[in-house]
Amino acid sequence: MRFGDFIQAMSVDSQRVPFQELMPEPLFDRHGNEYPQPVPKMKLGGGEVVKILQPYLSTRFMDQARAVVPLAIYLGLFQYLVLQTPVMDASIIAGGLLAVMVGLMMFMEGLKLGLMPFGEVIGNTLPRKLPLAGVLFIAFLLGIGVTFAEPAIGALQVAGSIVDPEKAPYLFTLLNDRSGATVLLVGLGVGLAAVLGTVRFLRGWSLKPLIFISLTPTLILSVIAFMDPELTKIVGLAWDCGAVTTGPVTVPLVLALGIGVASAAGKGADSSLSGFGIVTLASVFPILGVLLLSFYTAYTVPPEVIIAKAAEIKAAAALAAAQPQWFEVTPWNEVILGVRAIVPLVIFLAIVLMLVLREKMKNAGMTYYGVFLAVAGMCIFNVGLTYGLAKLGDQSGGLIAAAFTAIDAVDASPLYSVSVGVGIAALFAWVLGLGATLAEPALNALGMTVQNLTNGAFKKSMLMGAVAFGVATGIMLGVLKLIYDFHIMYILIPGYTIGLILTLLSTEEFVNVGWDSAGVTTGPVTVPLVLAMGLGFGNALGSTEGFGILAAASICPIVAVLTLGIYVQFKVKREERRTARELARTEVPQGV
Amino acid sequence: MKRTFTTLTDATLITAVVQHGFGEVITDALLEVGIQGATLHSAMGVGIRERLGAVGVAVDAERDVVSVMVSSDEVDRVFERIFLAGKMDTPGMGFMYATPLMQAATYVPPSILAKYTD
Repeated sequence: MRFGDFIQAMSVDSQRVPFQELMPEPLFDRHGNEYPQPVPKMKLGGGEVVKILQPYLSTRFMDQARAVVPLAIYLGLFQYLVLQTPVMDASIIAGGLLAVMVGLMMFMEGLKLGLMPFGEVIGNTLPRKLPLAGVLFIAFLLGIGVTFAEPAIGALQVAGSIVDPEKAPYLFTLLNDRSGATVLLVGLGVGLAAVLGTVRFLRGWSLKPLIFISLTPTLILSVIAFMDPELTKIVGLAWDCGAVTTGPVTVPLVLALGIGVASAAGKGADSSLSGFGIVTLASVFPILGVLLLSFYTAYTVPPEVIIAKAAEIKAAAALAAAQPQWFEVTPWNEVILGVRAIVPLVIFLAIVLMLVLREKMKNAGMTYYGVFLAVAGMCIFNVGLTYGLAKLGDQSGGLIAAAFTAIDAVDASPLYSVSVGVGIAALFAWVLGLGATLAEPALNALGMTVQNLTNGAFKKSMLMGAVAFGVATGIMLGVLKLIYDFHIMYILIPGYTIGLILTLLSTEEFVNVGWDSAGVTTGPVTVPLVLAMGLGFGNALGSTEGFGILAAASICPIVAVLTLGIYVQFKVKREERRTARELARTEVPQGV
Repeated sequence: MKRTFTTLTDATLITAVVQHGFGEVITDALLEVGIQGATLHSAMGVGIRERLGAVGVAVDAERDVVSVMVSSDEVDRVFERIFLAGKMDTPGMGFMYATPLMQAATYVPPSILAKYTD
């Protein structure tokens, strides 16, 4: 007897069931031919359903909880321990944050099941059925559609209600009665970026000239706006819009289309960099769009009209608050926003698929389920955005000012001397930026890609560290900007100048990675939180506008990654030279 | 000089086909008991969603296939371990099987080789 057989007999209480039991009985007609039968449905008990659903739900929920819970705990503890103020409306905020997590979980799953298959099918078949101009036109429309579907874009509207129309009339109008136009122009910018990015895939253009071509007019327009006493308050918002656009809907859908086009032209496989660059363009063009819109508004509407209208809007809002219409009350308002964000995009994708491509959707049931999840998730997320993220960010932003200046909400304020208080606020912002960035799953993925691209010379941890350090420093600079009330241009101009110089010195790989690294860090949790925190902080300090923190958080990682890239390049070259020298030294005696 | 070629006998291949993401759970469980050299690759499964109906949306059609070679004496121990780690008694989770191998070969440490050379 073999030892293994002995062990088997001793250790395992085995029970044998023939596999035949699991097979369906073949069905034969009376001629003896087998005929097809439907797949037998499995009957499940309640316990088994729970067993199936539990890992499905828990892994997806934990993905979101990992991003939200530590941030919320950090903000709450900081407020309680350092600012000595308990979190107000803690139960509402906790409920709101729960809604954010559940909403994002459903939205991301819906995106994967409902929207991504559309993007992939369209990306793969569109270039074969339409001429290039048609493909680009659809890419353009898709860029607009995805902008409206981006969860973080709702944060702009929420932020708009905090702006004071007397102090910044144009900022107020762009975010309130003209918010549709603002989002549309952001969308046009993303659409243009999708077109240019797709052409870049096809032609294999370098990203460097594109960066210069797109950034130069943007910077010039920003300087012109900066000179104007009214428009100068817009600049922060415009640059923040760039960070808002590059979220979880835009990037994968636009990429799927672009990569599909490139692979249909037989150019997909050669460059591993093909995924990069679109994110950069999609964050620069919206800035240009918002700036142009603000110029147009400034030349057509005088500020007095806006202030008068703002009073009207405020009055209407007060009236609406007193006697809200059914669609303005909490669940319905968010449901309408959610449906309006996703459904047009889905209808557009479906029209392209059915009328232009004449393709049928495979797995239609799965797709419907995905679209339903995306819409429902977006609605729940919107509720959470208002009651969780925006409320929490606004509150802690407003209270941080208590560290160094007197504010009404905290009795003992200022809690610390000015220098210590400012230091605490700056450190708070820095740690917030570091934590939020390191928790971002997209950054981990980018780090992996970069490590593979550079054959390990640029380590994943190095990239993540550089990006997180950059974002943290950017958010800290943004907060300091609010405290000392200097203009955001004093951060942007030097930042982008250094960025452009570094771009000239870097190789193509690092330019692609560096400029894209700014986009991956601004997820749907970080953006609303930081926006609301900036606005709350700005209001508490009495500064005109709280925008610009995200803009500062976008340029700093670019500079950090490009600098590190140049250092890595230098190190690799030095290593090569040393090995070459050693080779030469060892080879000479052998030759003799 | 004639080259000696070493083949391994009494080897069994255990293959587990599980939902995407659970492959690493299994390789981790294997590493815990010191079994290394597992292979993990991706595949698509067909049919389970149709059989499960509405609950099927919770089952990932994307699959991880883990295969690992073990000594025939250890098959049952490892088989049981993978079964438990992969929660194979859950509907839709996956399936596994063991196949006897006719011949196998890999690097064999010289100390072990020495025991078998006469």
